[in-house]
Amino acid sequence: MSRTRIIIDADPGVDDAAAILMALASPEIDVLGLSIVAGNVPLKDTVTNACKIVGVSGRIDVPVYAGAAGPLVRDQVFGKYARIGAFSDELVARSSIVPSDAHAVQFIARSAREAAEAGDPITICAMGPMTNIALALIQHPDVARGIRRIVSMGGAFTALGHRTPWAEFNIYADPHAAEIVYRSGVPIVVMPLDMTFQALFTAQHFESFRDRGGRAGGALYNLFSAFDRSDIERFGRLGGPIHDATTIAWLIKPELFTSLRATVGTQVTGLTLGYTYADFYQKMDRVPNATVVTDVDEAGFINLLIERISLYGSVAPGPKLPGG
Amino acid sequence: MTPIPIIVDCDPGIDDTIALLTAFVSPELDILGITPVCGNQPLERTVRNALQVCELGRRTEIPVYAGCFRPMFREPIYGQFHGQTGLGNTVLPDPVKAVEKKSAVDFLIDTLIAAAALRKRITICCLGPMTNVAVALRMSPQIAEGIERIVMMGGAYREPGNRTMTAEFNVLADPHAAHVVFSSGIPIVALALDATHQVMLKPEHVAQFSSVSGRISETLAKLMAFWDRNDVRRYGSRGGPLHDPLVIAYLLAPHLFKTERARVFVEHESELCMGQTVADWYGKSGLEPNADIVIRVDAEGVIAFFLERLSRYAEKAVA
Repeated sequence: MSRTRIIIDADPGVDDAAAILMALASPEIDVLGLSIVAGNVPLKDTVTNACKIVGVSGRIDVPVYAGAAGPLVRDQVFGKYARIGAFSDELVARSSIVPSDAHAVQFIARSAREAAEAGDPITICAMGPMTNIALALIQHPDVARGIRRIVSMGGAFTALGHRTPWAEFNIYADPHAAEIVYRSGVPIVVMPLDMTFQALFTAQHFESFRDRGGRAGGALYNLFSAFDRSDIERFGRLGGPIHDATTIAWLIKPELFTSLRATVGTQVTGLTLGYTYADFYQKMDRVPNATVVTDVDEAGFINLLIERISLYGSVAPGPKLPGG
Repeated sequence: MTPIPIIVDCDPGIDDTIALLTAFVSPELDILGITPVCGNQPLERTVRNALQVCELGRRTEIPVYAGCFRPMFREPIYGQFHGQTGLGNTVLPDPVKAVEKKSAVDFLIDTLIAAAALRKRITICCLGPMTNVAVALRMSPQIAEGIERIVMMGGAYREPGNRTMTAEFNVLADPHAAHVVFSSGIPIVALALDATHQVMLKPEHVAQFSSVSGRISETLAKLMAFWDRNDVRRYGSRGGPLHDPLVIAYLLAPHLFKTERARVFVEHESELCMGQTVADWYGKSGLEPNADIVIRVDAEGVIAFFLERLSRYAEKAVA
């Protein structure tokens, strides 16, 4: 079986960390590189965090590229958990990994154009504001042609928002970038809050990461224990979502998910800026641009993530890292 | 005197062509590169036109880098006064010169970061929609340190628009890019319709230009004749406004221009007023000025300036 070649565009971020570690452990996926964007926290910190995550994974062959430090047009906002900042060394061990010289946008544009030329397009898993991807798409038409699909964690339909009453953070932080991606002609798979809220991870699951997942699992346990994501008032039960990991899980086991085709877009101005709409019932008379994932098999997704993180505890560890 | 290092970001375009031809014979300017963008014409055309104009001006050593193929956010719109090819009825030979491999955005970033390190800041001449500069700024904000200033043709302040009631073409074609540039803190000189409508290239001027400009006279006459808007009600005379060339004239003969400082805002949200440039002349916004807006131009002086420059194509020594 040929592995799915992906770029992970992310703003780590605690749930990005889980998603990246899941991808790096999965034999079905070939991670070409991480393109990092400002989002949950400022760029300097998302880059540091990405390097630390790659460090604990042992996959030092995977390059990290620093990208856009802010959104395309709107004023910058950070995540609800912005206080996370750079992961402390107590939570995630220091790493000797440094970002590559090239810019994340150049990396995306170059990879996609080469993939277009080779007739073998790549997949992008977008886990943060989509500024990097939009900046690459603006520059050359071959960039869109070289992307097989963009699996985007972002948006909220019936679930309503988590950063504003209407808006999910990744879209709210750069609605123009999201709209450029939605209109790019690249097939989009949307992982909205409606679905990510269905799979809640509890302390017991984080303990499984720690007990079975080696250094990587330990780091995840530390992060999720330090930054509690549960919201019993909203979810009605214990536990919190790991939004970004759904993008990787969908690539590995799409049968865990249910989806609908829809035209998707977002508001870029005004009070409802960052609000995403989905035309599930073809009222707009447009050819759908997206597959919206509406439901997830909770147990199946949780088990898959734990299983993949457990690989860090069972397989031969990656090369030893200085300071690791 | 050391020449002023400039990058010409443009969308040729008839008036862009006149600007480039003028810059080519101005030893006060060191043209580091030309970065065509989607604007008056689709990118493929503006790149081709830029290459052809370099050959026409015998400045083929100047590298041309292809810019963004679409605006930052909105769907592309194209110019209305440049004919099918962007050069009116003028047919230039197929270019032999090739576009550089590097993209305009990467060229801007690499060159401006190097300029910042050497403290040899570069002036950017923006003659089209400012997509390339805005994308470069969003990718690498530190390039602002390598920019001396941006001298741009675009916008309309006290003057109404030329593409919509309120918007000038270059800003309307990418209002989000203009917003990014005007929010960047980089010093900006704005040659808006307020300035360019003061300098009409009239039929009698066209005759003068073609009589002095030597080996390019036939091409120049054709380009300039095509430029006639034939709209006396709007412009007060026959002829066409000399938009983009004023950027080059401003760099080389600033004494012909009077400016006023103001804070500029770019409307990028309203359907009706999309692309409108709003100047805070009287400190109502509470924000510091971010631009020098040209409010008066010595039209005769400017025409004389261009006549003198373009007459250099009649000299044997050119290029």
